[in-house]
Amino acid sequence: MRRLVSLGLAAVGAIGVVLALPARPALAQPTHPLGNFSVNQAIELALHPDRVAATAIVDLAELPTLQERPAVDVNGDGKVSAAESAAYSTRTCNAMAGAVALRVDGHRVPWSVRPAGFAYRPGSAGLHTSRISCTFDAAADLARSVIVDLVNGYRADRIGWREITAAGHDVHIVDPPVPARSVSDWLRSYPADLLGSPLDQRSARLQVEPGYAPGVGATIHLSRGDPVSRWVAAADRKLEGLVGGHLTPFVGVLAVLLALVLGAAHAALPGHGKTVMAAYIAGRRGRPRDAITVGAIVTLTHTGGVIVLGLLLTATASLAGEAVLSWLGVASGALVAAVGVAMLGGVLRRRSSAHHHHGHSHGHDPDHHHGHAQAHDHDHHGHSHPHSSRRARRLSLVGMGIAGGLVPSPSALIVLLGAVGLGRTAFGVLLVAAYGIGMAAMLTAAGLLLVRVRDRWASRPGRTLARLTALAPTGTAALVLCVGLGLAGRAMLGVVH
Amino acid sequence: MRYRILMVGLAAILLTGVGAVFGLRQGASPTANTAEASSSLPPGQAPVGQLAGSIARAQEHLRAVPRDYVTWAALGSEYVESARVTADPTYYPKAEGALRRSLKLRPTGNPAALVGLGALANARHEFAAARNLAHRVLRMDPYSADAYGVLADAQTQLGDRPAATEAIQHMLDLRPGLAAYARASYDLEQQGRLGDAAALMRRALTDAVDPPDIAFCRYQLGELAWRVGRLGDAETEYSAGQAADPAYLPLLAGHARVAAARGHTAAALAGYAELTARYPSPGYLIDDANLLRATGQPARADQQLTLAAAALRLFRANGGTDDLGAAQLALAQGHPRQAVLAAEREWSRRHFADVADVLGWALHQSGANAKAIYYARKADVLGARNSGYLFHLGMIELSLGRHEDARRDLSAALALNPHFSPLDAPLATAALHRLGPR
Repeated sequence: MRRLVSLGLAAVGAIGVVLALPARPALAQPTHPLGNFSVNQAIELALHPDRVAATAIVDLAELPTLQERPAVDVNGDGKVSAAESAAYSTRTCNAMAGAVALRVDGHRVPWSVRPAGFAYRPGSAGLHTSRISCTFDAAADLARSVIVDLVNGYRADRIGWREITAAGHDVHIVDPPVPARSVSDWLRSYPADLLGSPLDQRSARLQVEPGYAPGVGATIHLSRGDPVSRWVAAADRKLEGLVGGHLTPFVGVLAVLLALVLGAAHAALPGHGKTVMAAYIAGRRGRPRDAITVGAIVTLTHTGGVIVLGLLLTATASLAGEAVLSWLGVASGALVAAVGVAMLGGVLRRRSSAHHHHGHSHGHDPDHHHGHAQAHDHDHHGHSHPHSSRRARRLSLVGMGIAGGLVPSPSALIVLLGAVGLGRTAFGVLLVAAYGIGMAAMLTAAGLLLVRVRDRWASRPGRTLARLTALAPTGTAALVLCVGLGLAGRAMLGVVH
Repeated sequence: MRYRILMVGLAAILLTGVGAVFGLRQGASPTANTAEASSSLPPGQAPVGQLAGSIARAQEHLRAVPRDYVTWAALGSEYVESARVTADPTYYPKAEGALRRSLKLRPTGNPAALVGLGALANARHEFAAARNLAHRVLRMDPYSADAYGVLADAQTQLGDRPAATEAIQHMLDLRPGLAAYARASYDLEQQGRLGDAAALMRRALTDAVDPPDIAFCRYQLGELAWRVGRLGDAETEYSAGQAADPAYLPLLAGHARVAAARGHTAAALAGYAELTARYPSPGYLIDDANLLRATGQPARADQQLTLAAAALRLFRANGGTDDLGAAQLALAQGHPRQAVLAAEREWSRRHFADVADVLGWALHQSGANAKAIYYARKADVLGARNSGYLFHLGMIELSLGRHEDARRDLSAALALNPHFSPLDAPLATAALHRLGPR
């Protein structure tokens, strides 16, 4: 909405104040991405054990160059003599050195300044641009653990490209916040990127440690991960490609299949906390039906959640997707923990009622006449099945299902947003549904498998096993609680950051 | 068990079948996806407030979903807005790139991209192109408030006042808000209803949230106060604007003008020096040069005019046309005949009040008073109640010996705003003095 208001105002601004100096570099790529009146600066820092060296470059576009002309050609004879240009570059470098503040552990360190060159270059419309280089040097003890701060306040009110680079020579910069090499080749070729805002790096804080890491600046760390994660990531990209690409019936089928598989893969990957549900089903002597119930609820919650969040993100630009995901993660973890608490409470209650021989009832639950769980429900003591417990069990199942589906898979969300952006909303919803079904299938399958395995084990005679089985509900409840707290805690970290 | 497997199998076939149907329905689709080379630069600080945030989000979103034509169109429009807010024209090519990308992905049925291109054309002073784009969008979607906004701005500049008013009315009906109020206010101002215009701009101000929008409204309120000579009120508004957004440069020009009117020449020159250093636009440079010349600094005035000429040359080198600016520069340099030629070219493109005023004054300066009076009257009719226009009209009438008319119009100019120009206001007073009481 706001974006539309601004859109309107843009034009009013153009009328009320004929401010804009229109340019049409569609015809010819401009030398300066920030226009013909920009003052562009680059500072290249080299950190040595005993000093900080810097090369500062100022690149003036056509109009500032012309504005500065009287300051260069002091005697006004229309020519720039060697003496005039030397005087001008000395003055400029001194002014810049005064405005570029270097601090080592918070103490301002003065630069010694040496001008390194001044030259005019041909620019647009028969005008000139100019380039001034300066060399700065400062003595500093960097052969220890120190913080080096640089703040560039030179001509801070001018529009312009500003970059800072830093490289360590025989010292090590820990997690450098700035790159080691200039992205603009020291203001010679500015990157033209529709999706990049102009570089405006005015300060850098470098943590320096003694050590040998020659010339290493910010490098991109690609976390490669295990083969499965890599494969899933590749499949994610493939699906996003399919959504954006040319749609044929074959591609449609392929996209749905891929979404199913991806959903399953995401549910199977560790760290999603969804696998805890399988353990829950097994520990709570669940039946195949429970596994299917949870699966269905996961599908519904996940599909609905992704769609609601996707629509919210499309409708409002002010919503930050990551923050919402983090909060949902917290909610999901809390829900799992709550289920864990409920389970623990149920187990303890049953324990105490068993000891006091109160409310001792067997097999009142008609559900128990079905399924594999029936056989050993009567094996041991301490089980009461009043109706409230049954409802609590249902609620726990629903809670687990919701917790499993509450946090939308980022890849599903991206697929939906991509589809909405391309006007293929319904197709996106279908893929998200397929995604949820895949997830549910994987969770259900895991649950069923565990139920099977447990039944096999339980059918074997043996006292140790009987005792273990007796302990299982407490253990599962504790596990569910712990995992829930862990998930909520981890998601909370994301919220805080 | 077998039954269940059958059910699952059937469900899977059904699901994939629906997918296939989507594939069938969406037959013709955009061309193959090209990999997006996007260097991940840290976000700049240039645009402020919400705008920067929504630009960053759109950029991030498009890196993930590079074929989303809706977001490309929105990003393009936001770049146009950034150019206005930061006075940085390099957002124009970026805006054009983003909007054209959107159109390439979705060549038909993409009104958002066309509206963005229309706003961009207005910003580049290509008003006829903007009008045509707006008409194209309105044929597609007659309820597009944004298209009416583009149309209103274009028609205003092209001099078709009724069409502009109608477009603004549509906009007010469809989506009353900051953009519509601001335009309606400007429309009222053009009709000479300055009080109503100010009231509407105050209403727009209550809708403004982002600092640059607040600064914009304050600046306009300051201008309205300035036009009727209320210097104190104008200054209050400019200061309030600067408090909201110190980076909004027109406010500096406002302050400098008020300082000059108050006779604080040094402060005015300092203000202009800062303004033109930060934003060397031809208009500000010419204003500064005129003031410098009036205060006996012809060498510095010439320097500023050299810069203005260079700025216009760069503008033309980039494919723009601004003959109004060229005419104003020629007048400031004392070349009235060149000014006439440039102003006539501009007048053939658009019948805007400023153009008529400059053309009339240039004709007067080159001695063609009989022709000059036609355009001076035209300017007065097109842009109601402007002291500068009235002064020019009165001086032309004086040259033609129409003393009664001259006395009336020069008095009106001074009555409206006794400080309208530090150079011209004393001339008007002197002329009236020579004419004597009637």
